[in-house]
Amino acid sequence: MADYAWRKLLQLIPTVIGVVTLVFLAMRMIPGNATGFMAGDNLSGDALAAMTERLGLGIPMWQQYVNYVTGLLRFDLGTTIVTGLPVSQLILEALPITVMVAVLTVLISCVIAVTIGTIAAYLANKGKKWFDQLITWLTMLVDLMPSFWMALLLMLTFTLTLGWFPASGTINFSDPGQMLQRIALPLMVLCAGQIAMIARITRTAVLEVLGEDYIRTARAFGLPQLRVVFRHALKNAAMPVITVAGLAFGNLLNGTIITEFIFSIPGIGTLLINGINSRDYTLVQSVILVYAFLFILVNMLTDFIYKYIDPRVRL
Amino acid sequence: MTPGTQMNPLLQVDQLRTYFHTREGVVRAVNDVSFTLNSGERMAVVGESGSGKSAMAMSLLQLLSYPGSVESGRVLLEGRDLLGMKEEELNHVRGGEIGTVFQDPMTSLDPIMSIGDQLVSHMIRHLRLNPRQARERAAQLLTQVGIPDSEARLRSYPYELSGGMRQRVLIAMALSCKPKLILADEPTTALDVTIQAQIVELLKDISTETGMALLFITHDLGLVARFAQKVAVMYAGRIVEYGSVYDLFERPQHPYTQSLLRTIPSIKGPRPKRLMQIGGFPPDMRQPIEGCAFADRCLAAVPQCRLEAPELEVKHGRQQAACLVDGGIEAVIGQTMPLHREGAEPLPQDELRVETRPVLELQQLTRHFKTDASLFKREGRTVRAVDEIELSLDPGQTLGLVGESGCGKSTTARMLLRLDTPTAGEIVVEGVDIAKLKGEALKSFRRKVQMVFQDPYSSFNPKMKIRDIIMEPLQVMDIGTREDRELKVQDLIRTVGLDTVYLDRYPSQLSGGQRQRIGIARALALDPSIIIADEPTSALDVSVRAQVINLLADLRERLGISILFISHDLSIVRHISDKIAVMYLGKIVEYGSADAIFEDPKHPYTQALLYAAPVPDPVAEEKRTIRLIGGDLPSPSNPPPGCHFSTRCPMVTDRCKQDQPVLEQMADTRKVACFHAS
Repeated sequence: MADYAWRKLLQLIPTVIGVVTLVFLAMRMIPGNATGFMAGDNLSGDALAAMTERLGLGIPMWQQYVNYVTGLLRFDLGTTIVTGLPVSQLILEALPITVMVAVLTVLISCVIAVTIGTIAAYLANKGKKWFDQLITWLTMLVDLMPSFWMALLLMLTFTLTLGWFPASGTINFSDPGQMLQRIALPLMVLCAGQIAMIARITRTAVLEVLGEDYIRTARAFGLPQLRVVFRHALKNAAMPVITVAGLAFGNLLNGTIITEFIFSIPGIGTLLINGINSRDYTLVQSVILVYAFLFILVNMLTDFIYKYIDPRVRL
Repeated sequence: MTPGTQMNPLLQVDQLRTYFHTREGVVRAVNDVSFTLNSGERMAVVGESGSGKSAMAMSLLQLLSYPGSVESGRVLLEGRDLLGMKEEELNHVRGGEIGTVFQDPMTSLDPIMSIGDQLVSHMIRHLRLNPRQARERAAQLLTQVGIPDSEARLRSYPYELSGGMRQRVLIAMALSCKPKLILADEPTTALDVTIQAQIVELLKDISTETGMALLFITHDLGLVARFAQKVAVMYAGRIVEYGSVYDLFERPQHPYTQSLLRTIPSIKGPRPKRLMQIGGFPPDMRQPIEGCAFADRCLAAVPQCRLEAPELEVKHGRQQAACLVDGGIEAVIGQTMPLHREGAEPLPQDELRVETRPVLELQQLTRHFKTDASLFKREGRTVRAVDEIELSLDPGQTLGLVGESGCGKSTTARMLLRLDTPTAGEIVVEGVDIAKLKGEALKSFRRKVQMVFQDPYSSFNPKMKIRDIIMEPLQVMDIGTREDRELKVQDLIRTVGLDTVYLDRYPSQLSGGQRQRIGIARALALDPSIIIADEPTSALDVSVRAQVINLLADLRERLGISILFISHDLSIVRHISDKIAVMYLGKIVEYGSADAIFEDPKHPYTQALLYAAPVPDPVAEEKRTIRLIGGDLPSPSNPPPGCHFSTRCPMVTDRCKQDQPVLEQMADTRKVACFHAS
């Protein structure tokens, strides 16, 4: 296990170098730059050049790259170009919100999706197809709905008409009730997509396992059906579900960007969008680096869960 | 046992009827099946796939999967009807009173739960033991079924055990809750012959020791003869013959049983040129059946058979058969054709064909695999899958390659097809060494050696029509014009005995036997000089095996093709082969003429294989002292030093453990690799 963790960390190095370089270059290929964004139409000529110099953008690109990478090696993410604030501080403020939303989404959607997926599979296995068909139809419908459209629909219903959940405002970790109310709508939007996908995968996986010989063996030894499902079927069907949930987490990071923006939640998604809009290279580079780290972390976590569930898995 | 319970049978099945309500229609899988089983009795239910034997077994336990349901009948276990029982009561019977052993030990255990946990949970539930007592009993049971080091084994997972070991675990599980009846559904079909023999002996011993009744479901008549006291033969959902094992084998009454027994080649005595075969194929159970289901394939059928489905009736003593014609095919056989083995002429002897150059010669053929070495592991091991084997095959002859799974048979076949490149050695086909061929030369060589695969269900592209399947090799090799190919394909399908209307069908519309004929037609498309047949009959129904074997034998005769026949079924290998090579862990241990080897096997491993192979004759089986070889096949990556067979050999001495015997000439036609052979 420790051996595996070390190997994974070694693999991390080329990944990080790749991500850093790619983001560095991509940002500079987009037309426009931070100076232009800050100055607007007011500055020109020498003044603009002076400002560019002051922001550290006057030096050649390779030099900027070297500076950035050496900074990273000292765990220094630098300061934002536009506001001059330390990037690490901004990320530390925004990250917990995003991580909390993402983790809650994965937990809630897994619990709901695995439940309905299992029920659908169980009934389908006994030849009762109606629930199964209903679920398949519903999940398809939800999956096809664009998330921003659903977000607007939910806001219209729950914020403007019913007035249950606020759609904007600060997030305060010290008041969980208020906080949950605040993130309820984004959670709903994010969960909807995940539940649809995970439920479908669970259904397929459980249905397949229910047809396996060892399920018949367990039944032939008098294990009641429901206990067969919990003792044997769910655990064996877990692999594809976990794979998908792990991948879903990656998609979720994408999803949070739009959703945070719509519901104006001050997470790293919002931070990223602001950074891109103002061409704030250092900020965008660092935020994307954080995303990459999260993604790799989740990958490692799913691998460990595999090993825990299935003794045949070799890490 | 009190006299009162002696009166009632342990299990009484009465007019059991099970249907599967599929979208395509009702499959009448089990039709009015009745039988009784007493305590301590061993009964076999024999039938081929689709005969309803497994559906019947699952009906007893009420474990039919959707869309199956028991339509009517009674299943009385000690007088209580299982069919009317509530689920909770049934769950007490399942495992508690009826233990079950399933066919495939590889898939019948939960792969991610330890052996111990799987055994223990059932005992806690049925026997109300506490976890500690249950674990102790589990360890005892594992010892009882012959698993060494049982305490440690409880912590193992199924993937860490061999197939034979897993089947022992399943048997231990079936025994664990002290049931009155054990239901074994093809418990040895997925195992090698030597392991099969071990498992059958184990089950037999257990029933003798504990007085448990055994219901044994199988397609193998040889196993029935070895194992059962009472037999029910099923065909198309009905019991067509029912009686004691001696009666059934001595004077079978139903034409199906009579024909089936004749199709099985013998491992002793003279060899007929052709096997008797049952024409046609088993009925499609999705279609309604009028009259007797066997009528279309029956030699004794009279017009009445197609109108009226016969009932089981007493024919002889207590033996019952469901047939309108008294005496079955025995009544008509004299007038129709010489079906008896004795009537057929023996195969020409090898000695008649002298001075022919072999079409295939293997010299020092070797294939080693290296297991992966990685950054954190030390260097990989070498697996000697095939180790310096030497064989030769003469034109128009058949070489049988025999051995247990993992012995290197299939690797050898792959190298002959050049799907795999040998590590060392030569493969000389018609005088040319093809071991290292590349590019165009390799492509044109491929015409010479073709393959018939084991499983006709998975060896065709399901989206291709039969015409395109047979034509594909011609297209790949760019032979002839479109018209030429079409003519060739029509010619080929007739050669394998099928009508040209099948050319426009898809594989799924054909039965297993028909598909295997297509497989042979495809192999013949390029006019090869050698055909490699890798277990070509093992996936087929018993009643059509003989057809395929006869077809191969005919083609060999007519087209002069040589065949390398790979199989674990010794009786079929003996029937079709001129020479036989016995492989063990990548080495050839005995090699010689088929008759000589079967008459007088020299190598202890060959002897063990022959002992293990069941013979469809209960009298002979009873007389035979079965000398079993114990244990499993050692891992090819870590074979024992000295003679590879030394760990399982009954004749082992110190020398065997140190030196490796080489294949030495024993007689004119025989080579053996053993220090003790004489």
